[in-house]
Amino acid sequence: MVSLAQRPLTSAETIGYGAIGLAAFLALWSALSLTGLVPRQFLPGPLEVVSRMVHLVGSPFAGATLPQHLASSFLRFAYGFALGAVVGIPLGLLMGWFRWLDDIVTPIFDGLRFIAPIAWVPFAALWFGTGVGGPILIIFAGAFPPCLINAYRGARFVSRPLIEAAQMLGTPSRRVITEVLLPASLPSIVAGLRVSAGLGWQSLIGAELIVASTGVGFMMVQAQLNISTATVMAGMLAIGLVGLLIDVGLRQVEGAVRRRRGLQ
Amino acid sequence: MDAIRFDGVHKAFRRAGIDFVALEKVDLAIAPQEFVAIVGPSGCGKTTCLRMAAGFEFPTSGEVTVDGRIVTAPGPDRAVVFQQFALFPWKTVFENIELGLRNKGVPKAERGDRVAEAIALMNLQGYETAFPHQLSGGMQQRVAIARAYVLDPDVLLMDEPFGALDAQTRVVMQEELVRLARRNPRTVLFITHSVEEAVYLADRVAVMTRRPGRIKEVINVKPVRVAEHWDDHARIEDVMDLESFVHLRTRIWKSLRDEKGSQDR
Amino acid sequence: MIARRSIVGLGTIMVLVGCWYVLTSATGLVSPGRFPSPQDAWESAWQVTVTGYANGRLHEHILHSLKLIALGFLVAAGTGVPLGLLMGWSRRADAIISPIFLLIRPIPPLAWIPLAILWLGLGDAAKIMVIWFAAFVPSVINSYTGVRTIECYVVEAASMLGTPRWRFVLEVLVPAASPMIFTGLRLSLQASWTTLVAAELVGALYGLGRILNVAQQDIYPGMILVGMICVAILGWATTRLLAHAESLALPWLRTAEA
Repeated sequence: MVSLAQRPLTSAETIGYGAIGLAAFLALWSALSLTGLVPRQFLPGPLEVVSRMVHLVGSPFAGATLPQHLASSFLRFAYGFALGAVVGIPLGLLMGWFRWLDDIVTPIFDGLRFIAPIAWVPFAALWFGTGVGGPILIIFAGAFPPCLINAYRGARFVSRPLIEAAQMLGTPSRRVITEVLLPASLPSIVAGLRVSAGLGWQSLIGAELIVASTGVGFMMVQAQLNISTATVMAGMLAIGLVGLLIDVGLRQVEGAVRRRRGLQ
Repeated sequence: MDAIRFDGVHKAFRRAGIDFVALEKVDLAIAPQEFVAIVGPSGCGKTTCLRMAAGFEFPTSGEVTVDGRIVTAPGPDRAVVFQQFALFPWKTVFENIELGLRNKGVPKAERGDRVAEAIALMNLQGYETAFPHQLSGGMQQRVAIARAYVLDPDVLLMDEPFGALDAQTRVVMQEELVRLARRNPRTVLFITHSVEEAVYLADRVAVMTRRPGRIKEVINVKPVRVAEHWDDHARIEDVMDLESFVHLRTRIWKSLRDEKGSQDR
Repeated sequence: MIARRSIVGLGTIMVLVGCWYVLTSATGLVSPGRFPSPQDAWESAWQVTVTGYANGRLHEHILHSLKLIALGFLVAAGTGVPLGLLMGWSRRADAIISPIFLLIRPIPPLAWIPLAILWLGLGDAAKIMVIWFAAFVPSVINSYTGVRTIECYVVEAASMLGTPRWRFVLEVLVPAASPMIFTGLRLSLQASWTTLVAAELVGALYGLGRILNVAQQDIYPGMILVGMICVAILGWATTRLLAHAESLALPWLRTAEA
C-alpha cells in the first residue's frame, strides 16, 4: 500500500541529512585521491583543489592570475549578455504585437534555434577574431534566444482586456507597447534573462576553451595541456562560483519583480 | 454497531507558527446504510471530518471508527469521491474504474463484468475507452462515482462531489444520486455547503459551526421525507416546492445564520 | 491562418536566399573569405559527401556524432530520471542528495571538457562522459519537479483504492510525472548537442565538430557553413524523434490537443 505524501522533514533533519550527504561525497572524493586508488595527479583531493585556487589568486598561470582571468571572462560575458537582451527583448515584444513581424522572423529564428551556440565558434573567430568580438558573438548566440522567446510569450499572452482597456482609453499603438505590453510581460522577461545568463555563461566557457588567449576557459585548457588537474578543477570551481553569483543576483531581481506584481 | 463513529474528535494544527483548532469535540454516529450530510460554512472543518474517516488525516485526540475499527490508513473499504474528481488522466474510463478491483485481486473476467455493471449504472456506456479530459465535468464525476461504487464499499465518502459542476449538471447528478442511493443504499457521509443539496439527499443533516468546528445540531430529514412522499417526485424542483422541504431548509438556514452572525463577511 | 504563416515563412526564406546570392556571388559585397557564396557551399557539401574531409566522409562524421549523442543521452536519461523520481518522492533522499547537487550544478557542463580529456583522453569515452554530465541535470530536475507537482488528491485517490507500492510507482507516479520527464528529456537532448559540438571542437578525430574545427583552421567558410547546417538539421531531427516518442508514450496528452 502506498504511503501518503510523507510529512515534511524538520529543519534539523534537513540539515542533518544534508550534512551526511555532503560528508559522504567529500569523504569518497578524498578517499579515492588519498588512497591512490585514482592517481593524485588525476584526482587531487578537495583540500588540494581549494588551496590551488587560493594559490592561483596570487600567482599567475597562463599569463594572468585567476581574478584577472575571471575579469576578462566576465567582461566578455557582460557584453554578449547585454547585446542579447538589448536585441532580443525589443524584438520579442514587437513580434508579440505585430503579426507580420512574427510571421517573418519566426521561420528564420526556428531555423537558427537548432544550431548549438557553440557551433558559431568558427565563424565568430573568422569574422571577429579570438579576442573579444568572437566570444561575444558566441555568448550572444547563447543568450539571445531565451530573451526573445520570453519577451514574445509575455507580449503574446498579455490578457486581452488589458489591451482593450488601453485602447478604450485612446492609447496610441506605440504607447500600448511601452505602457502595457512591456510592463505586463516583465515577469516573463526577467525569467528569460535568468535562463539567458546561464546559457550565455556556459557558451562563454565553451568559446574560451576553443578560441581565446585569456579567460578562465583558456586557463583550464592550458592546465589540461600541462596535466595540472588541480588547476583545471580550481577553474571549474571558480566558474561555478561566478555562475552562481550571476544567478543569485538575477534571482533577486526576479523575486523583486514578482513580488511587486503580487505573484507568489 | 454504527458504520461510522466520531467520538470526541479534536483536531489542532499549526500553520506559519500559529496554532489553529480545526475541530473541537465532534461526536457523530452514522448507522449502516444511512446517508448523512454535513453542512457548514467554509473552513469549518467538515472536509477534515471526511478525510479522517478516509484515513488521510488523523485526530489530535478522540477516535474515528468505521465498522468498529479505528481508522489508521486509507483503503478500498471506504471509497472516496473527491470534489476535483481525482481521476487518473492517463487511464481510460474503463481502466480508472477497474484499478480498485485489480488492487483487490479480483480475477480479470469478474472485473470486466463488474466494471460493465458500474458503467451501466452511471450511464457511461460508449465511453469506456475515452480519457477523462475528453468528458464533461458531469461525466467525469460519474466515472469517479462508478469507481467508488464498483468496489462495493462498506462506506462511501463524498467530499462536495458536485461542487465543481455547473448548476444544471449539478441538478441532474443530484437526482441520479438520489435514485442510486434509494435503490442501492450504502452508508454515505456527504460533505456540502449547499443546504438544499443536504436536505434533498440525506437521511440526516448535521450542521457544523464555524471554526473551531463542532456539530451544532443534527436534523432528521428521513421521517419527513417518507411521510410526505418526496421520493414520488422525479424532479428536484418539485421536491423543493413542497412545504415540508421549505420548512426544513429554512430551519437549517436559520441554524447556520445564527452561527455565522456578525463576523460573517 | 496556418497557410498564411507558411506562405510568409517560405517567402522570407526565399528572400533571404536571394539576398545571400546577390551579396556574395552576384555583387561580391561580402568577400568569399568571410562568408561562402551558395556555389561555394554547394561545392563544399559535394566535397565532404563524396571525397571526404577531415578524416572521413559526411555520413561517417554524422554517424559518429549520432552514436555519441545516443549513448550519452541514454546514459543520462537512464540515470537522471530515476534519481529525479527518487528525490521527488522521498524527502530523505532529497535532503541527502540536494546539497551535493547544489555544489556541482553551477558548474556549466562545458567546463567538464578539460577534466574529461585529462581523465579519458580525446576518444569517445570522454565525450560520452561530458554529454552525460550535461544531459543529466535537466533530466533530474524535471523528473523531480514532475513528482513534486503531482496533485495530492491523485495520490489520495490511489491510496484510497488500495494501490500497492510497485503498481503505484508504475501506474501513478511515473505517468503523472511523465509530461515533465519529457520536458526534461527535451532539454537534455539540447544540452547533449551543445556539449558534443563543443567537445568535438576541442579535440576529436571524427564528427561534425571535427569538420567545423578543421574548416576553421583551413579558413574554409563553405565547409563551416555545411558543418553548421548539418548540426542544425540533426538537432532538429533528433528533437522531432523525441517528440514523436513522447506522443506515442503519452496518448492521453495527444488526444488532449486534438
